[in-house]
Amino acid sequence: MPAEAEILPLAQLASPIRRPAIELTGFARAGLAMLVMLLYVFLLLPIVVVVSSSFSPTRSDSYAWSQASLRWYYEFFAAPNFTSALWFSLWLAAVTTVVATVIGFISAYGILRFLGKRRRTGQSLAMLPMMIPHILISLSLLLALTRVPLPELAALVIGHVLICLPFTIAGIVASLEGVDPDLEAAAYTLGASRPRVLLEVTVPLVAPGVLSAMIFAFIVSFGDVDIALFLSGPGTTTLPIEIFSYIQWESSPVVAAITTVQIALVVLFGLFVERLVGLKTAMRI
Amino acid sequence: MLLAPLGLIYLLFLLAPISFFLAVSFLKYSATQLYTSTPTLENYQRLLFDPFYTRIILDTFRISATVTVITAVLAYAMAIELFRAGSTLRGLMIFAAVAPLMLGVIARSYGWIVVLGQSGLVNRVLLATGLISSPITFIGTEFTVIVALVHFMIPYMLFPIFSALAGQDRQLVPAASTLGARPVRAFLEVTLPLSRPGVMMGSALVFTLSAGSIVTPTLLGGRQVAMIGQTVYELVMSTFNWPLGAAAACILVLCQLVVMFLYLGRARHAG
Repeated sequence: MPAEAEILPLAQLASPIRRPAIELTGFARAGLAMLVMLLYVFLLLPIVVVVSSSFSPTRSDSYAWSQASLRWYYEFFAAPNFTSALWFSLWLAAVTTVVATVIGFISAYGILRFLGKRRRTGQSLAMLPMMIPHILISLSLLLALTRVPLPELAALVIGHVLICLPFTIAGIVASLEGVDPDLEAAAYTLGASRPRVLLEVTVPLVAPGVLSAMIFAFIVSFGDVDIALFLSGPGTTTLPIEIFSYIQWESSPVVAAITTVQIALVVLFGLFVERLVGLKTAMRI
Repeated sequence: MLLAPLGLIYLLFLLAPISFFLAVSFLKYSATQLYTSTPTLENYQRLLFDPFYTRIILDTFRISATVTVITAVLAYAMAIELFRAGSTLRGLMIFAAVAPLMLGVIARSYGWIVVLGQSGLVNRVLLATGLISSPITFIGTEFTVIVALVHFMIPYMLFPIFSALAGQDRQLVPAASTLGARPVRAFLEVTLPLSRPGVMMGSALVFTLSAGSIVTPTLLGGRQVAMIGQTVYELVMSTFNWPLGAAAACILVLCQLVVMFLYLGRARHAG
């Protein structure tokens, strides 16, 4: 299914908008405001409860603030199944990011500089994994493993690279568009070889865009459920899948602690992208 | 050529496996070899005529449709409020609406387990106020699956509707009221029809995402709720009936694609 960043026109949302095309009378206005306030309580409730129960000193999620403890965080870091899943997830996301960025850069460059009029077609074709439900991608890779002697880990990496490629390609195409081809031509005329032009002119110019594309790929891989649900095996279980199989049988605030750590990581990454290129620009991909 | 690696990757790891997957859905199942090379329509026949599977398919559609309608109404109200808010408040409201997206589907399902569990927040509050005398079992019911799916889907519905409203000519409603329309009528006859493409886009997204969900019904629906996504998961991961699982996945994906193209096609006409 299409991933979040593609369908959320955040850039558009953040820009100043024209005022309402809707008129409401007093009573309806108050009622609507109430409803929406309740809706926000509904939207934020599970998050608030999860974060707060992660600091609970007991299994229950109700406690006095003065009793807040880091017990579940200690338990998380002491549980080998969770920590190894966390490390594996981070490793997988890092490998995926590097591969998807390298291939993404080559492809974005090819689409922009060599396709000419067929650029639009090329760009849409590059978005293919985004159009296909991710479950179908992972299921068919898993099925292919019955025919092709490939380790499960390879299939998992391939699956993650596939779902990250549309993000890296779109992000890098967007930042390459801002590079004046004349700059490359100028360097070329001055005697620089093609690889040197690429490394010394193009890459530095698009570096912030490439970095934000990398962070996006990292987040997509790190948060993925659909691919890992089918392609995770013993020793190659990602953190979300480990949590999934754990809470099918048991519910413990350890999960709340892990979730809170995840939230912190995503917020941290988000702030980093914001500092780097501005969230608005980054979300436009 | 610079595009060769990408083409090769898509061909080898995307298109070829998916074609093979499609083909297997037309093959006969064998307990020893997973699938044989005998072609058959049996798998599709079973899914479409065996009452056990038709119920699952119909349930999936019913749940997804319910989620879509509820989400559309709630997100529409939110979109209107977003318009009426000042820019600081609007920024906050947008952030709060997107914030749950940062948590994955698993973390959010866990959140609902904590909120709606036997000794969860809701039951504690209800018990404390004396409204109920023994805790209500929420986990393992269709109600909870729908609540969690609505929670998950609101952002996907909110933003298309918001974009559609943002694109409207703001002179239209004053024009309608000048012509004597009351606010409610102006909304029903001007604003609402014009925002149809946004509602449709959002509905298509929410319906397809709900229909394909696996994790939410597994964690919150227990044995009471069966949706196609779970069925595919179980057929492939525990029963190893690949042909039937593949056929179920193909039916699901086909329905998703049909809904998507139908909605998008009509939205384009309307827009």
